[in-house]
Amino acid sequence: MSRLKPGEVQYQYRHAIGGFFEFPIEHARKLLPSSMAPIEMHHGQGILSVMMFDFNGSLVGEYGELVLSIPVAPRIIPGRPMPRASFFPFLVGTTTKASRDHAIELWHLPHFMENIEIAFTVDEHDIRAAAAQGGQSILDMHITDYEWGPVEHHYQAFEQDATGTYMATMAMNAQFSENEEERGSLEIHPHAFTAGIRNAGVNTTPFRELWMRDGFQTFQPLEKIGAGAA
Amino acid sequence: MAHQSDSDTGLEDQRDAGQASGVSNSDYDYSNFYYSSSDDLFAIFGPYDDWWYGTARRNGYYLFSQPMSTPPGARINLEEQLNHEPLELLNLASYNYLGLSHHPEVIAAAKDALDRYGLGAAGSPILSGTMDVHLTLEKELATFKKKEAAMVFPTGYSTNVGLLSALLRPGDWVILDQNVHASIVDGAILAKAQVRFFRHNQPADLEKKLRGTTGKRLVVVEGVYSMDGDIVCLPEMVEVSKKYGAKIMIDEAHSTFMYGAEGRGVAEHFGLEDQVDIHVGTFSKALGGQGGFVAGSQSLYNYLMGFARSRVFSCALAPAVTAGVLQALRITQREPQLRATLWSNVAHFRGLLSAAGVDVGDSTSQIIPIMIRNDRRILGIAQKLQQAGLYLQPIIFPAVAKHRSRFRVSISASHTTAQLDEAAAILVNTLREEGIL
Repeated sequence: MSRLKPGEVQYQYRHAIGGFFEFPIEHARKLLPSSMAPIEMHHGQGILSVMMFDFNGSLVGEYGELVLSIPVAPRIIPGRPMPRASFFPFLVGTTTKASRDHAIELWHLPHFMENIEIAFTVDEHDIRAAAAQGGQSILDMHITDYEWGPVEHHYQAFEQDATGTYMATMAMNAQFSENEEERGSLEIHPHAFTAGIRNAGVNTTPFRELWMRDGFQTFQPLEKIGAGAA
Repeated sequence: MAHQSDSDTGLEDQRDAGQASGVSNSDYDYSNFYYSSSDDLFAIFGPYDDWWYGTARRNGYYLFSQPMSTPPGARINLEEQLNHEPLELLNLASYNYLGLSHHPEVIAAAKDALDRYGLGAAGSPILSGTMDVHLTLEKELATFKKKEAAMVFPTGYSTNVGLLSALLRPGDWVILDQNVHASIVDGAILAKAQVRFFRHNQPADLEKKLRGTTGKRLVVVEGVYSMDGDIVCLPEMVEVSKKYGAKIMIDEAHSTFMYGAEGRGVAEHFGLEDQVDIHVGTFSKALGGQGGFVAGSQSLYNYLMGFARSRVFSCALAPAVTAGVLQALRITQREPQLRATLWSNVAHFRGLLSAAGVDVGDSTSQIIPIMIRNDRRILGIAQKLQQAGLYLQPIIFPAVAKHRSRFRVSISASHTTAQLDEAAAILVNTLREEGIL
């Protein structure tokens, strides 16, 4: 963990894993506010981002988190680092009520309002994460590694609720591995959590696999950038 | 106005200072700067320049677009762009597969045409830009391809863009191999057709993507894929396309004039020329010129004449280039030994690489990828290769998937065996020094 500036909030994690999955752009648009446009990786193909975190240090203790989001265009702000990517998280699930309440209050993130369970299984070159609720599977993701190296990556996340549209900027410091070897997988199970993506033609093989370990995520204070959802 | 280099203007120093302010983008690439949102159209320029001058250029992006001062032959001169030093290099990077770009007869034909017609065509091919040399080239191309007609376009890019946007409309389906050239994808987008990509060279996935489609459908494949150098499994692709009533088009930019007993391409190689509905090729690869063509029925030609907007609204191919290409076409038919030399060179170089254990992916053609599979290291290796006297272009993300970075070797009939031996020695030694082998 690093020394924080006023207003910064930091989360420490053992593992943060992500998969980028192609799915039809019209489904990506449905999951976004009308003011945002999805990144189109090929003509007609949007991206579903599935991220799963194993947090081991935060203001609300240890917890797991599942984030479904759509990559969108980064917002350029003079004098600040160009973000590596930007996301609109459209559904977040956490393993504890405290972490959920914290994220809703601080970051205005849309949450699944029940606790979920996330189990990580780590091998030398791959990691599996299974999300469930009360024994009912939500989704399973498998990610593989490539070459590891230390990074500091900057990201943006946009949120919108009745009170406003917000932008969170964050830095991810960790050992990082990324590949497009198409060795990972995603299995989406029937569950209320997956209702928005289950029949949306999501490719079950990630075109990009990301894995960060033994790192921390540092958020700048949330910025209000627009009005709330009608 | 003369172009000023960054070192001339001092801009590079300014960017260095800006970079020192803490912008962290050392592992960024072009894809990080494609999308952005702002109230200022030019807001992306600042972060892009910070990346370009701060890290990208000096880390190896300067290796792209280095100006050459010789023909793209086996040995070239170019000006290295980091320190602006002149270099003499052994060239394995150019498309000049049959060595025709600098063939004396080709140059003579182009010079004659320059004297006769002047510099440019001075008009669209549908208005005043068509000259007799254009029609002669089209006629001889059609005869060569054994098709009713062939149409010449100003560039290979405009060929695919014009063809696809002429034939497809919103609601039509175009099913593309995921590795097809950008010009094919752009043509489909311009047509506003519904696009589906199938997994590279996998007929089963093509069938999956065709299933459920109705109406007008076009399947597009390439003869030889430009990044991997592998060949389309055309019999299976044709079978699946016919099963679903789809038309099939083959882009033979990297295979026409080289594959097949008479050089007509991969479709000839497989004996499927009449089963493929639309044949595309270029003049910029094996013929060493510029431009592209579509070969097919007279009806296709007639329709494209009216609706291929990239051709209708462009100036016709320069007559000197047209005449040079025409002569190159005649040479390929007169001298089949050029193809034999090319394939002999390919086999020789491939043998040298194989003996050294170099990973060349799935290539079986004159395009041989040297797989490095490490995005962080390939640009450094490229610099060492250039310092050792070898001109090779690194191919990196987003042109290929992350960590599928490679050098793309283009073998030519104009290479001598000694030059290929020298190139392989430089390549293998450098890869060994770098721990790749």
